Amino acid sequence: MSTRADAGTLASASDAAARQPRDGVQPPSRGGRPARSSARTKARIAELAFLVPALVYLVLFFGYPVVKNLLMGFQEYTTKTFFTGEAPFVGLDNYTAVLGSSLFDKALLNTVLFTAGSILGQFVIGLAIAVFFRRSFPLNNVLRALLLLPWLVPLIASAAVWRWILDTDYGALNRALQLLPFIDGNPAWLTSTSLALIAVIGVNIWLGIPFNATILYGGLQEIPEELYEAGALDGATGWRAFRHITWPLLRPVVTVVLVLGVVYTLKVLDIILGLTNGGPANSTQTIATLSYVRSFKEFDFGQGAALGNVLVLLSLLFAVVYLRLNRKAVDE
Amino acid sequence: MCPMARRRVLKTTLAASAALLLPLTLAACGGGSDEASGTGGDAGTLTIQDYYNDDPGKTVWEGVYNACAEAAGVEIDVVHVPGSDLISKVLQQAQSKTMPDVLMLDNPDLQQIAASGALADLEQFDVSTDGYAEGIVQASTYDGKLYGLQPITNSIALFYNKQLLADAGIQPPTTWDELKTASAALTKDGKYGLALSAINTYEGTWQFLPFFWSAGGDEKDINTPEAAQALQLWVDMFQAGSISQSAVNWTQADVNDQFKAGNAAMMVNGPWQFPSLAESGVDYGVVPIPAPTAGAPTVSPLGGETWTVPETGNPDKQAKAAEIIKCINSDDNQLLLAEENNTVPTKTAIAEQYGATNPAVKGFADLVPDLRARTGELGEEWPAAATKIYTAVQEALVGGKSPEQALADAQNG
Amino acid sequence: MSAVPVSTTVVDSDAGAPVSSSGKPAAHRWISTAVGVVIIAFMLFPLYWMVNVSLQSGGGAVATPWFPAAPSLDGYVQAFNDQGRNLVTSLVVSLGSVVLSLLIAAPAAYALAQFRIRWATWVLFGVLITQMIPGIVVANALYSAFSDIGLLNSLPGLILADSTAGVPFAIIVMRAFMGSIPPSIVEAARVDGAGQLRAFVSVVLPMSRNALITAGLFTFLFAWGDFLFALTLTTTEDVRPVTLGLYQYIGTYVSDWSPIMATAVLSSLPAIVLLLVAQRYVAAGVTGGAVK
Repeated sequence: MSTRADAGTLASASDAAARQPRDGVQPPSRGGRPARSSARTKARIAELAFLVPALVYLVLFFGYPVVKNLLMGFQEYTTKTFFTGEAPFVGLDNYTAVLGSSLFDKALLNTVLFTAGSILGQFVIGLAIAVFFRRSFPLNNVLRALLLLPWLVPLIASAAVWRWILDTDYGALNRALQLLPFIDGNPAWLTSTSLALIAVIGVNIWLGIPFNATILYGGLQEIPEELYEAGALDGATGWRAFRHITWPLLRPVVTVVLVLGVVYTLKVLDIILGLTNGGPANSTQTIATLSYVRSFKEFDFGQGAALGNVLVLLSLLFAVVYLRLNRKAVDE
Repeated sequence: MCPMARRRVLKTTLAASAALLLPLTLAACGGGSDEASGTGGDAGTLTIQDYYNDDPGKTVWEGVYNACAEAAGVEIDVVHVPGSDLISKVLQQAQSKTMPDVLMLDNPDLQQIAASGALADLEQFDVSTDGYAEGIVQASTYDGKLYGLQPITNSIALFYNKQLLADAGIQPPTTWDELKTASAALTKDGKYGLALSAINTYEGTWQFLPFFWSAGGDEKDINTPEAAQALQLWVDMFQAGSISQSAVNWTQADVNDQFKAGNAAMMVNGPWQFPSLAESGVDYGVVPIPAPTAGAPTVSPLGGETWTVPETGNPDKQAKAAEIIKCINSDDNQLLLAEENNTVPTKTAIAEQYGATNPAVKGFADLVPDLRARTGELGEEWPAAATKIYTAVQEALVGGKSPEQALADAQNG
Repeated sequence: MSAVPVSTTVVDSDAGAPVSSSGKPAAHRWISTAVGVVIIAFMLFPLYWMVNVSLQSGGGAVATPWFPAAPSLDGYVQAFNDQGRNLVTSLVVSLGSVVLSLLIAAPAAYALAQFRIRWATWVLFGVLITQMIPGIVVANALYSAFSDIGLLNSLPGLILADSTAGVPFAIIVMRAFMGSIPPSIVEAARVDGAGQLRAFVSVVLPMSRNALITAGLFTFLFAWGDFLFALTLTTTEDVRPVTLGLYQYIGTYVSDWSPIMATAVLSSLPAIVLLLVAQRYVAAGVTGGAVK
């Protein structure tokens, strides 16, 4: 019942944004219909009607915030503004202040490390789990469903639990590590400037695995068995099968997962705030958390908006570069 | 151009312009209505907003509000906002002109909100500050005008576990040196001598202030030898292992948990912990935070919340709101609130009277006349200084910088 | 050892232990199950800790023992009494978001995938950009707008706001799947006289069932876990999703962890049920022909 696309079509995969849709369906001309152009227009309107609700929704709910945020980056927006409505235009002052601050370099580095570390971990582990679950064994489905459980828990609760697990003196992790013979001393996961970022990345990986694993699993499911059988006949099994059959066919799904993953990770705020609040000594301060601090702790919304815009720019940059590279790779 | 193409171009242009114009129009219109605020429909309903969204505070305060509302002859609507989000809420309300009629603010936040013009000057409502401790009035005064009135206050002191100290044969410390020795001596068997909050929020700053101010540190410029001295004290105790490194991530609630569990022999905390300490059964005592040297005074920071009347544009409601605030601040209510909430009254005479009858809080009551407002010197610039202080503290404790370096870097941004 | 099963096993999403024609010994499969359990156990350990804390009496969670020595249901009782209504609110808002998001996103995804629209790429890019906007920016903007329109403290308001997480994501994921539906099938329906809408509803939607369910599932999870909009767009206790309800226990001076964790556990239960039901469909090919 569900359509499995041809292996041939799958093999000609390209990236999402560059995709050119195939020809739309022409309405069959019936006898007696007046000028073809009018029927065409009607058809066009019918087609657009599919899109209109989504476009209206997106423009209303995202357009306004985006424009407002862009403007705020150029304004002096403080608590006063909320009351008086005045936000004097200050040109690039916010951006200079933000980019010139000593904290920015650190935050930028942390952001890059945090994102790269998280995505790498989430993706690799997610893929491994997805591949593993392709095997058939008892309780496969139940276990796979349970994988999504971490997402059901409110972030406040998750953050609190991880804070305890990672506590230096009494946390479950250190207590477990003590049982191992070769570990000496109690690593200060959340309170040492060298380990805090790693700990936060670790928790974010934990959070991201369900998302990655589920979507990658779905993608794996779409790859027809016959391909593997055919490959096996040619001697491609195990790693080779993965490289030559799985990976190319999985690539489009990988694109979705990676691009969305990076975009979401760049924005991550709650888990860092919940675990370390950007500390200790700003060692887990990212651009996202910095933007939050500027806006909601120091009430300099102009600077916070400027940082937010920098973040969007980074996301955009990544998306464009990645999709470009991907298209090139696929076209080869 | 053929008609088809032109139509397509037209459609595209229309779509694009709509897409651009719509958000801009919304942004322009987003200024909100200019009607007077107050959520209740009738003139007689006032909104009171605070952050006591948990018992026992919630019930106590609602009781006081209701009594005062009755006395003023109005109905009230009480809104409790989660603590850390009160200011964001207030800002949103200011923007959409839906501010409450009576607004509670944490006292260091008052300066900022008053500076934005959102609050009404209380003197026009015949609100008097006679009998209040100086620090209290200062905290609620902006630009020479009174914007808030604070009925109760608290501060921090040194709590100690009587049993543990007795076992070790140690007296509660009164000077910094004694503090260092005592906490070192009490650190054994996996327990720490002292617990405090060095977190990178204003709470961490708050905990550091008694040490900072008592040593002569000044928030106008934190890069001074006196401030470095205070920071050195903390660093020494950290490095000696008397304070757990986790302290850089602890809130005062976490510190209390540690003390209750017996993981720390002493802690720096405030009287609001009394109920939970009573529940835990720990036999504790309270002494003032040790001073730098014997006989020197300890300067304690002023805590507690203040009550304000926002500019809602409705003078009748504002007058009634002021009445409610005066009622909340009445002598009787000050005593009631102090007792129920484990805080102390702000009128010096009442505080003294209260301390005399309540030995448990006497230590705190004695501090009232000399409490120092955080916003006393810097007014609305305080948050920036507060950020510098906790940044410097963390850099010195775990960031590997010397106290002097940490303070200098933080001060200079 | 082969990383991918090469046998001709039919991967039946429903059966737990399909018949293998390659003669793989059953013991191997149970070992796989064991490995699977270990993986899941690691992933779910924090949740175990949550249940552990929820069963401990006393607020503080310092040095909580591995197992609750004297399990106490006090936290649950309190949570149930205080949060019962909030759980229902969360459920209504989340399901509402799913319905709204799918209603909006499915036709759009189909249009972007199948119709020949010149600016489709731009729309997709625009959708991707919406995913880059920090939630706070959206929340603050919505607050002003909603307070003017009067949508604060309302279920429809929250449904509309929470859909901001679902709609873009659903469009991206569903479009990927719908792109692989051969136009010939749709054409066949059209030739039989069906209009665009009819073709969409009777032919495309049933074929996209798995994508719909996956998109719906994640939309549900996004909406269920949303805290930002719940906090920003409500000012009273009338409409209070459970994520915000947790805050009731994080008082100004006291953190009461047992009921917090109990609420967290309770709040997961309805979602778990939905999950188990839906995973059947998620398994069978979520992204269809993959993103092209």
